[in-house]
Amino acid sequence: MLFTSRTWRQVTSELPDGPAKRYVVDPQPSMKTPIEDIRLLATDLETTGLDPSRDQILSIGFVPVNGLEVDLSGAGHLLVRPDGDVGDSATVHGITDDALATALSPGEALDAFFTAAHGRVLLAHHAAIEVRFLGNACQRIHGFRPRFPVVDTMALQFKLLSQGFDDEPPPGSLRLNAARSQYGLPRYAAHNALTDALACAELYLAQVAELQPLGVRTLKPLLKY
Amino acid sequence: MDVELREIHDFLSSHPPYSLLPAKVLDDLVGRLHLRYFRRGTTIIELGAANNSLYILRSGAIDIYRAGKDLVERADPGSSFGTSSVRSRQPSAYKIVAIEDSLVLVMPGDVFHRLLTGEPEFAEFFDTGQKDVMKRAVAELQGDSGGRTVLKTRVGDLVKREPITASPDLTIRQAAKIMTEHKVSALLITEGNRIRGILTDRDLRSKVVASNVSREQPVTTIMTTDPLTIAPTALAVEAMLEMLGINVHHLPVVDGDKLLGLVSSGDLMRLETANPVFLVGDIAKQASPEGLATVTGRLPLLVAQLIEQDASADEIHRLVTAVSDAISDRLLKLAEAELGPPPVPYEWLVLGSQGRYEHGLGSDQDHVLLLDDAATAEDDAYFAALAEYVTAGMETCGYPRCPGEVMATNPRWRQTLKAWTTDFHRWLTEPESDAVLHAQIFFDFRCIHGGGQRAETLRDTIRSLAPRSPRFLGHLATEAVERQPPIGFFRGFVLERSGSHRATLDLKSGVHCVVELVRVLSLANGIAAVNTIERLRAASAAGAFSADSENALLEAFEFITYLRLRHQAQQAAAGITADNSVSPDDLTALEKKHLRDAFGIIRRAQQGFAYRYQTHLMS
Repeated sequence: MLFTSRTWRQVTSELPDGPAKRYVVDPQPSMKTPIEDIRLLATDLETTGLDPSRDQILSIGFVPVNGLEVDLSGAGHLLVRPDGDVGDSATVHGITDDALATALSPGEALDAFFTAAHGRVLLAHHAAIEVRFLGNACQRIHGFRPRFPVVDTMALQFKLLSQGFDDEPPPGSLRLNAARSQYGLPRYAAHNALTDALACAELYLAQVAELQPLGVRTLKPLLKY
Repeated sequence: MDVELREIHDFLSSHPPYSLLPAKVLDDLVGRLHLRYFRRGTTIIELGAANNSLYILRSGAIDIYRAGKDLVERADPGSSFGTSSVRSRQPSAYKIVAIEDSLVLVMPGDVFHRLLTGEPEFAEFFDTGQKDVMKRAVAELQGDSGGRTVLKTRVGDLVKREPITASPDLTIRQAAKIMTEHKVSALLITEGNRIRGILTDRDLRSKVVASNVSREQPVTTIMTTDPLTIAPTALAVEAMLEMLGINVHHLPVVDGDKLLGLVSSGDLMRLETANPVFLVGDIAKQASPEGLATVTGRLPLLVAQLIEQDASADEIHRLVTAVSDAISDRLLKLAEAELGPPPVPYEWLVLGSQGRYEHGLGSDQDHVLLLDDAATAEDDAYFAALAEYVTAGMETCGYPRCPGEVMATNPRWRQTLKAWTTDFHRWLTEPESDAVLHAQIFFDFRCIHGGGQRAETLRDTIRSLAPRSPRFLGHLATEAVERQPPIGFFRGFVLERSGSHRATLDLKSGVHCVVELVRVLSLANGIAAVNTIERLRAASAAGAFSADSENALLEAFEFITYLRLRHQAQQAAAGITADNSVSPDDLTALEKKHLRDAFGIIRRAQQGFAYRYQTHLMS
């Protein structure tokens, strides 16, 4: 596709100016950034389904993490207006067509997300979903698929649980709530993108507190992609 | 952007003082917070470190150490900390350590200061004056006080005018004329400050009119000599009990040497005709322990009603004690009716919580017999039978026997004034720590039957001896300081989430911290009172406490005992045997905070005491 025919520089130089372009063009966090200084954006999406090629984003929740601190002042919860009706997913997420009437278009939502994510590492629990859906959306709107530096709390949890053992972690132990309960983090009843993003951010703080004494000092060993 | 950090919002809105914030302010606040995570064992604020944030514990548990050493508080989620340093902008006087993996909400100092300025209710919560904190806690528990009742009214408040008095030289006719002129039903016969007797309408009717005594006789021939008096601080219901006990309708109210006036049964009846009156009235009518048990069976409901009516713990304690006293007294009379008159005079002393006017629901019996010195070994059979009758009767009425056998049924605790004096003398002058600690409740004795002159003689001995008994006081003091309020309980809240076992809090230990501390200070100062509140006031007047710590301790004591009574009343209503173990589920977040404050106040009083004690008494 685009990657094979042209250089990344060529692609980005042709992009219209805006948050998406600035996100990919401006420098991203260095691999050597000390843990205390890593800037991340914990992100969670609610979607109409699990297939990025067919399903759509319904909402984007995010909250910034600055080093070892979650900054609630930067929290955001974007409702996205999809094409067609919401269907069955509304019963899961509680998002109705009515609520979506006030929502942003996918392009506006993506701009708001990239503005918040500027200069930050994407932080998510099982990040593949977020990366694929956000990538697809960007591809559809701007014609390119951005590279996301990603820290995945599920991958970190796998790493922490399988330390020194050959066995894999017990099934279910990697799920967000199960992982959180291992650190005594409060249980969240609500199920929406912002709450899950916050839950992920808190889990990250706990994991990093666990990893630091093990010699993890910089961004590099935390990164998934 | 519609940001709803619902989880954080709901968390804050269920914890004071954030729950006191207007909705708009709270919404805005959530977006100004940060979150941090501390591993178990990490120091959150170092002693002496600058701190420009307020912390709110989101999950986990923390310990707060004063000067890095003494544990001041163990906080559970919802607690705020770092408050004093961020307020004062001074280096932290506390070291704060996460004792569990903890998630903490961080409020920047400027945000906190803005809230303090803009939200008075919020600011009030952080007032460091412990006194006010506890006062508010008590007020919150009790709500606005309703109408004054027989339980809330002190006898002193009932005295409306100077007493009408007359000299003992008068004739019956002259006295009757004075009574008619002043429209009073009783006349006090006084000589100087001393009350010689009391003359009532009833005396005139029954002794003069009915028995044809000459009206020219001196008034002293028909008056009741040396009438029972009552202190102005006594509750109206206590006056009522006294009257019922000796079948009189008037009691002179005396404050020390000063005659204040007279209180009549009519004064009392005009107060609310609340149930306690009838309850107490019923006691005198009962002719068997089983009959008395039907009266005490109504006590739990009554206590629940009193709590409903916003009575204070002190008032409820006094009422419950008054009922216990009346039951004991009635049982003694029934026993005497069955066994015949006693071979020698005796006094029935109650000890422990009943002695201190602090009987609660489910409290056990503690009592001893104080016999006239004329008693011989042969007389003991009578008193053994008497003691067994009363103790068994009390048991029937729901007062468990004392597990330590501190009861008149124990021959060891049935003895003459002389023998008691020897015992107290030995406890005071040759104290072996175990024996003295065991004997502590003996120092709370109070006579409820038999006049009390011997008991007062005994008390005078103790009052003069105790302040000069440093080793004895030392043992008591050590014990009083070592008994720690259950601050650690709040850690139980945190551990509980593992579900392994349900933590409950023993309120009794908190109560006893105050009782013991106050007892030793009261003995050290030769104070006669036995009630903890009266002792505390007297000890404070003697300089043992500052006015601030006096009030803080009074309120802490009131708060803990109130929670205990409420808990016991709830248990009784549910048909469960009353105990002292409260589950955290039964306390609101605010009550938990106040309870922690109360324990903190007690701990600080103990520490202050430990310091003073070593320097002043043990030197």
